[in-house]
Amino acid sequence: MNLSSLNAVAVELVVGAWAVLLLSADLLQREARKHSLWAISGLGVLCAGAVLWWQQAWVGQHFGPMFVFDAFAAFFKGLFLLTALIVVLMTRVFTRLLPGNIGEFHLLIFSALLGMLVLASVTDLLLLFIGLELLTFSLYVMAAYLKTDKRSVEAGLKYLVLGSISSGFLVYGISLLYGAAGGTNFALVSRTFASGAVPPLAVAGMLLVMAGLGFKIAAVPFHLWVPDVYEGAPTPVVALLSVGSKMAGIVVLLRVLYGVFLPAQAVWGGVLAVLSAATMCYGNLAAIPQTNIKRLLGYSSIGHAGYLLMGLATATASGAQAVGFYLLAYLFSNLAVFFVVVLVGSLAGGDSLESYNGLSRRSPLLAATLFIGLLSLAGVPPLAGFSGKLLVLLAAVEGGRLWLAAIGAVNVAISLYYYLLIVRRMYLLPAASAPPIAADRLTRLVLFLLMAAIVGIGVFQEPFLQLIPSSRL
Amino acid sequence: MPIVLVILLAPAAAALLLCLVPQHRPDWARRISVLATGIPLGLALWLVGHYDRAAGGYQYEVFVPWIRSLGIGFHLGVDGMSAVLVLLHALCSVCGVLISYAIKERVKEYYIFYLLLITGVFGVFTSLDLFFFYFFYEMAVIPMYPLIGIWGSDVKEKGVVRFSKEYAAMKLTIYLTVGAVIALLGLLWLYAGSGVNSFDVAALERHFRANPLDAQLQRAIFPLLVLGFGVIAPMWPFHSWSPIGHAAAPSAVSMLHAGVLMKLGSYAIIRLAVGLLPEGAHAWLPWVAGLCLMNIIYGGLVAMAQKDLKLIIGYSSSSHMGYVLLGIACLTPLGLNGAVFLMFAHGLMTALAFALVGHVYDETHTRYLPELGGLAKRLPFIATCGVIAAMASSGLPGFGNFVAELLIILGAWDRYPLQAVLAVLGVVITSVYMLRMVRGVFFGQANEALPHARDAATPFARLPYAILIGALLLVGCWPNPLVRLIDVSSRPFVERMRQPNGMQIAAPPSTRP
Repeated sequence: MNLSSLNAVAVELVVGAWAVLLLSADLLQREARKHSLWAISGLGVLCAGAVLWWQQAWVGQHFGPMFVFDAFAAFFKGLFLLTALIVVLMTRVFTRLLPGNIGEFHLLIFSALLGMLVLASVTDLLLLFIGLELLTFSLYVMAAYLKTDKRSVEAGLKYLVLGSISSGFLVYGISLLYGAAGGTNFALVSRTFASGAVPPLAVAGMLLVMAGLGFKIAAVPFHLWVPDVYEGAPTPVVALLSVGSKMAGIVVLLRVLYGVFLPAQAVWGGVLAVLSAATMCYGNLAAIPQTNIKRLLGYSSIGHAGYLLMGLATATASGAQAVGFYLLAYLFSNLAVFFVVVLVGSLAGGDSLESYNGLSRRSPLLAATLFIGLLSLAGVPPLAGFSGKLLVLLAAVEGGRLWLAAIGAVNVAISLYYYLLIVRRMYLLPAASAPPIAADRLTRLVLFLLMAAIVGIGVFQEPFLQLIPSSRL
Repeated sequence: MPIVLVILLAPAAAALLLCLVPQHRPDWARRISVLATGIPLGLALWLVGHYDRAAGGYQYEVFVPWIRSLGIGFHLGVDGMSAVLVLLHALCSVCGVLISYAIKERVKEYYIFYLLLITGVFGVFTSLDLFFFYFFYEMAVIPMYPLIGIWGSDVKEKGVVRFSKEYAAMKLTIYLTVGAVIALLGLLWLYAGSGVNSFDVAALERHFRANPLDAQLQRAIFPLLVLGFGVIAPMWPFHSWSPIGHAAAPSAVSMLHAGVLMKLGSYAIIRLAVGLLPEGAHAWLPWVAGLCLMNIIYGGLVAMAQKDLKLIIGYSSSSHMGYVLLGIACLTPLGLNGAVFLMFAHGLMTALAFALVGHVYDETHTRYLPELGGLAKRLPFIATCGVIAAMASSGLPGFGNFVAELLIILGAWDRYPLQAVLAVLGVVITSVYMLRMVRGVFFGQANEALPHARDAATPFARLPYAILIGALLLVGCWPNPLVRLIDVSSRPFVERMRQPNGMQIAAPPSTRP
């Protein structure tokens, strides 16, 4: 290993260093001025973004045997940084965080971000585990961050218990794979799968690893933690969970399924297809009767996990590309929705669906953003979510799973129903009390940019598709 | 700049522009919308006039590669059939925008959604790419939800709410979306099965002419497309969203909904299902011919039983769309010409009828037939238009509907004699409920509780009615140019359908009409 191989980990170094910087800033700054810490943290993400841009020249470089910086990693690191940036901007307006401990919160965002960035590049099961634990440990703490709120503590505890179980699955699976392959490196493990008859031990290890990752992306039957955690955790954390954590789980799944387990695709393809169908149906049907928007979005995020699994199950390059595009669309749509949820929760009080009644009168901008975000999640053209869904369905049809595509198509209509129920509240029903909600200038700008991104990606798909490497991982 | 692109982008650009218009300037919003629909109308007229009939095929094409790896291109163009429908939509949307002057609250938002709806419909009629076809199709459906939900009205009977507007809006959106995704599945299957890696309709047509798709596959995909697009057509038994949706929508939205949105379904069936899957069409169209009879007869009988004016016209629309489906099912140039021509004539007629009902409702605040009566004295102009609409709808000679229905029944005679005879019966049913409605609203005992009703007095208020009636009479008395324009495209379309080995279709005399 020479010094120049550090180029491969440049972004991670910046993010790690910035976490230290944040820690010292938190120590040095007076309590009264700490609400401006978001600026330092946002600047850190922007710096990391600039480094990522510069780092593109070193695509294909390895850092030791465990870490690679390839085009695939570069694309997803970009998405993770975007997510982190928007989440930082959310914490700025999430007023309930203001009393105390805001510094550590930003620090935790950075450690979670570091975990996600590492996950995009892993080529070793051990590093995979470390990256995933770094991410989830940060999220455990963040979920329970509102210490005086019973539901937040409950959310943190539930996430901790169920997350630990899933880590157990993962570690057990890794140990079985180690037993079968004699190592944890992807190249080594994949040799076990490539050589004719796969030992049952390795198949069991593979299924356990998939189960462990299934928790992270909230796929049925590993979804039980989602509704309560989404309802109780602070909203910016929920946004990070539903976008960042899910994306990280998918990235890792792509890495291991396409990079290691590809020869056994007959096994995992079928398993994922069945799970995908169950996940879509369960998430979307269970979302219908919800009365709390965060719970509803929790179930909807389960539904989206189903679509992502549908793309993964194809085991084709076009399936992987479709998943990448779906995540890009999901990122902007879901973060736009959560941004409005943060604002309504902080400025208008409450996350119950009733507080959205008459939102279009109280704040046309928030209502329009939520409208566009929700319809994009439902998959309505000309918005980004539509192209994502179309690509995933197309990949499934091309992979010969028409039945799965049919279930996915019907779920579009089901999800549209409950998203429209929110639209109905915003536009059709009168507000109980109607003081206008005023968002500040930066927030308005961010909302406009998010809307523009959703429409832009939905109309001009090709430039974004080209960003996603479609070759084998 | 290419004409078709301008037609498509004018309303879209106006919708974006309206986002910038301040909330307190509804007059700006209205003027921008008139302009954004007036320009397409002028261009559509030019398009219909200048379409090169000798050359035929797709003209005024625009092609921009969009997603190369998947073979998706932004491909616009019109042939004889779609040019006529573009003109229909342009006429209806201008009139709809003018009628929308009656909307007084949240005007800006209303026009944004309305223009998005208009853009979507233009997009469907001009797209020659499966991806963009679906893209615009779904884009036309979704604005209906807020349009009905916010500006619509509940359907009441004797003062009791029968269907709330929210129910109607949700039912319409979900029905159409379910239909759309079923059709999408068919389209994706078609794309994957064709093996040419192209979403381009023209390219697929060329490809299938040389090497047709496997007959088994065609027969499997065809019902997906017909069911999916049949929901919006609206084919019995999937029509129930439609009359309720019509009834709850504000009148300008009903005009577009019944005038053109329903035609998207039958157009999609012609262009995609029949055009790309001839073998599937041969196998399945007799079933469609059977189902459409239910539309015509059953829809007509249900319309007779209605007491809400908009529900009467709503059911009558689904009844008339049965004729369109029958015309398509004939697979003869005559029947297809009739189908497209009826889409045009019925679109104008039904837009006129909904505009009239909208005026009556605005003035009297009721659409319940027993509460109306004797309005001819107060609303002479509206009453005259109402009589004209009823006559057009009943298929009186001199109106476009007569020509179209005649073509369809003649076209159906060879292949489906029973359906042709029963379809004629449908004309009688239509006259029963239309005349009963005219009598009930405009003549007979005047209701003393409605003294404030005012007529459409100014030339500006009368303009949309004049445009629609003028167009109806023009194509009714002089159908030749339009029928010949349709014929340019429908004849080769049907010729292509003839399989050398498969079923032979009775060749119609080539000189009609």
